[in-house]
Amino acid sequence: MSSSLPLVREQRRKRRPAEAARIPERSGSKLGYWLYFIPGAIAVGIVIFYPLVRNLRLSFFHWKGGRAEEHFAGLDNWIALFSDHEFLQSFRNIFLVVIAMVIIPTLLGLIISALLFDVVGRRFSGKLSSFLRATYYLPQILPIAVAGVMFSWILKPNSDGVLNQFLSAITGSTVEINWLGGSYGTAMGSVMVLMIWIQIGYPIVIFMAALGRVEPQLYEAAELDGANWFQRFRAITLPMIRPEVFVVALTTTIAALKVFAPVFILTGGGPTKSTYVPSFYAYNEFIKGPDKGYAATIASAITIVVFVVAVIFIQVQTRAERKDA
Amino acid sequence: MKRRTAAAAGILAVGALALTACSSGGDEPAASGSSGSGDYAGQTLTVMHYEGEDSAMGIAWNKAIDIFEQETGATVNLQTTAFEDLNSSAEQLFDSSDAPDVSEYNKGNGTAGQLASIGVIQNLDKYYDEYGWGDKLASGIDTIAKYDENGVMGSGDWYGVPNYGEFVFLYYNKDMFDQYGLTVPTTMDELESDMQTFVDNGITPLTTSAQEYPMGQLWYQLALSQADRQWVNDYQLYQNPVDWTGKEVTYASSTLQDWISKGYISKDVSGMTAEDAGLQFINGESPMFYSGSWWYGRMLSDITDFNFGITNWPETTLTPGSGGNIWVIPAQSKNPDLAAKFIDITMSPEVQNLLGDSGGLPVAADASQITDPDAQTLISLFNEVNDKDGLSFYPDWPTPDFYGDLNSVMQGLVNGTYDATSANAQLGTYYEDYVSTVQ
Repeated sequence: MSSSLPLVREQRRKRRPAEAARIPERSGSKLGYWLYFIPGAIAVGIVIFYPLVRNLRLSFFHWKGGRAEEHFAGLDNWIALFSDHEFLQSFRNIFLVVIAMVIIPTLLGLIISALLFDVVGRRFSGKLSSFLRATYYLPQILPIAVAGVMFSWILKPNSDGVLNQFLSAITGSTVEINWLGGSYGTAMGSVMVLMIWIQIGYPIVIFMAALGRVEPQLYEAAELDGANWFQRFRAITLPMIRPEVFVVALTTTIAALKVFAPVFILTGGGPTKSTYVPSFYAYNEFIKGPDKGYAATIASAITIVVFVVAVIFIQVQTRAERKDA
Repeated sequence: MKRRTAAAAGILAVGALALTACSSGGDEPAASGSSGSGDYAGQTLTVMHYEGEDSAMGIAWNKAIDIFEQETGATVNLQTTAFEDLNSSAEQLFDSSDAPDVSEYNKGNGTAGQLASIGVIQNLDKYYDEYGWGDKLASGIDTIAKYDENGVMGSGDWYGVPNYGEFVFLYYNKDMFDQYGLTVPTTMDELESDMQTFVDNGITPLTTSAQEYPMGQLWYQLALSQADRQWVNDYQLYQNPVDWTGKEVTYASSTLQDWISKGYISKDVSGMTAEDAGLQFINGESPMFYSGSWWYGRMLSDITDFNFGITNWPETTLTPGSGGNIWVIPAQSKNPDLAAKFIDITMSPEVQNLLGDSGGLPVAADASQITDPDAQTLISLFNEVNDKDGLSFYPDWPTPDFYGDLNSVMQGLVNGTYDATSANAQLGTYYEDYVSTVQ
C-alpha cells in the first residue's frame, strides 16, 4: 500500500502543467470576480446587514410595534438594560450555558473521541467505534422540541417523573424532587443536563474525523516506547486536533450565547424567571413586551457580545497557527 | 355527573342566552348581510382561526363557512393555525401582504388591545352600525370588543366581535367527596374544612399549575372574592391606581401561602403545566381543580371511572371569565366588507345554536334548543355568574407580559422565593411598570 503512494504523487505532479494550461488567462479585469460576488453580497445585505442595522437603530427608540410611531429614546434603553435585573440574571446564566454547551461537551468529547479512536477502534474494531460515535450523535439529529418534551416527562416533579421513580427505586424511599419548578439550582441544572446530552455528539464527530488524519503507526510507536493512554492523548491526540478544538469551541460558544429552545421548552424561564437567557428574554420582550425598542436593545447586546467573542476566538486561533508555522 | 358524550355541547348556549336575554337582536333571523344573490362569485375570502376541527367552535366556524359560500358565491380560503403561533406572530402577519381577511384572535389589553392601539386591526364601528352586533352582546361580553386609543378594553371603538363566552369554576370529584363524607363547599370555611379532611387522609386536595395559568386564575379568584366591581375596573381598566397592599391582593396571596404551608396545594405545582394539573384531576389523583369551562367537554369525555361535579367558587360575586376569543379584521385585509359578512354569519342563530349544541357557549343562541342535562348544568352555573354581573375578565390582561409575570410570582410563592407581602410588591412593580406608560 505504502509503496504505491509515491507513484500517485508522481502522477499528480505530471498532470499539473496540462491542467494549468486549460485554465483561461485572466482578461486583465477583476469584473468577473465581482459578478460572482454580487448575488451573495445582496443576500447577505438583505438577510444579515439590513436587519442588523435596523435592529441597532431601533434600540435607540421606543416603539410599541405595528403602525405605532417610533419615539427617539437616545440611550434610555441601553441605560435601562444595565440595571435590568432580568437581563443581568439572563447574562449570568450564559456562563452556566457555556459550561453546559462548550466546556463539558468539548472536554468529554476529547476524551471520548480519543478513547473511541485509540482504544476501541484499535483494540476492538473500527465498526464498533463508528457505531458508538453514531449513538453519541443521535441527540443532535433529534428535534430540540422532541428532546425537550421528553426531558420534561423524565423530570416531572411528582412520583410520575421517570427520574424520580428511578431515584426512588435505587434509594428505597420516595423521591419527589421538583426538578423544573422547585429551585433555580435544580431547574438550571436540568437545562444544563439537556444541553450537555444534546451537545456531546457534535465534538465527538468532529474530533473523530480529525483523528482520521493521524497515522495509526504514531500511536503504535508511542505505545512501543512505553507511553500510556494519557501520554499518547497529550502528545499525539491533542496537538493533532487543535484546529478542530478551536472550531468546536467557537461554534458552540456562539450557539451558547444565542441559546433559546431548551429554556423555552423545559422551564419557560421559570421558576420566577431565574432561568432566563438573553435570547429568551429578547423573544419575550419582542412578542409580549410593550416596547419593541427595548427588545431590540437586548438583541443588539447579544449580537455585540457574539461578535466580540467570535473575533477573540479567531485571533487566538490565528496566533496559534502562526506559532505552529 | 357521569360522562356524556354529547353533553358538553349545548351547555353554554343557554347561558349565553341569559346574557342576551335583554338584547333585542337575539331572536332575529340570520345575517342581514346575506344577500343570497351570489354577487361575490369569483372572490376569495381568507379566513384564519385556531380551533380544533372537532371542537365546538371549529364545528360552528365550518358551518359558517358553508353558509357564507352559499349566500355570497365567494370562496373561502381557510387557514388554520395554533393559538400560540398566532399570538406570537399576529402583529407582523396582520400588517403584511399575507394577512388573512378575517381572523379569530385573543382578546384583552395585551393582545387585541395592543394590536388596536398600533393600528394593526381595523376599527369595526361601521360594521357594528350596519349589522347591529352591539345589540347582541351583553354587558361584560362587549367589554372585550371595545378598545381605546391606548388599547385598554371597555371603552372606545369596536375592534372585535366575540361569539361565545367562558368562565372559571371548581371541578370536584364526587366519588372522593362521598368517600370521606364531604359536601360540596358553599363557604370558604367548608372549602378549607374539606381540604383539611383530604390532607388528613394523605391526599393533596387542590391541583393547579404555577408554570401556566391555573394558579394565577386561582389567585385572581381569591382577590375577586374580596373585591367589588370598581376594583376590577381599577385593575383591568386603570380607572384608579390598584393598592398592592390592599385587602384584595393581600387576601389572595396570603391565602395561597397559607394553603401551600398546610399542604392544600402541592409544592410540585411550580413545575407543572395546566395539562399536568388537569390530568391529575382526570386521573382521579386530586379531588379538586379550579379551571375554566374550556376543560368541560374534555372532562365529560375523558373521565370514565368516577363522577365529577362543578360548582362556582364559594362566597364570591365576581368570577374570572369573559367573552371568548374575538373575530378581527386585519389592517391589510383585502376584503373587509366580505369579512364583515362572514362575521355576521357566525352571529346567526343557525351557527350560534350549532355552537351550543357542540359544547360551546354561544352569545346569541336560542336557549330552548339546548336540552342536554350536562349542557344545562354548565349553563345554569354560568347563569349564576351572569345574574350577579360577575364576569371579571382574567388576571393577566392588564399588561402585555403580565401572564409571565404572574406565573413567575406564583412559582416564587410556591417555592418560597416570595412570601405574600413580597409577592404582592413584585406583582405591583410589574403592573405599574406598564400601566404608568398608558395612563
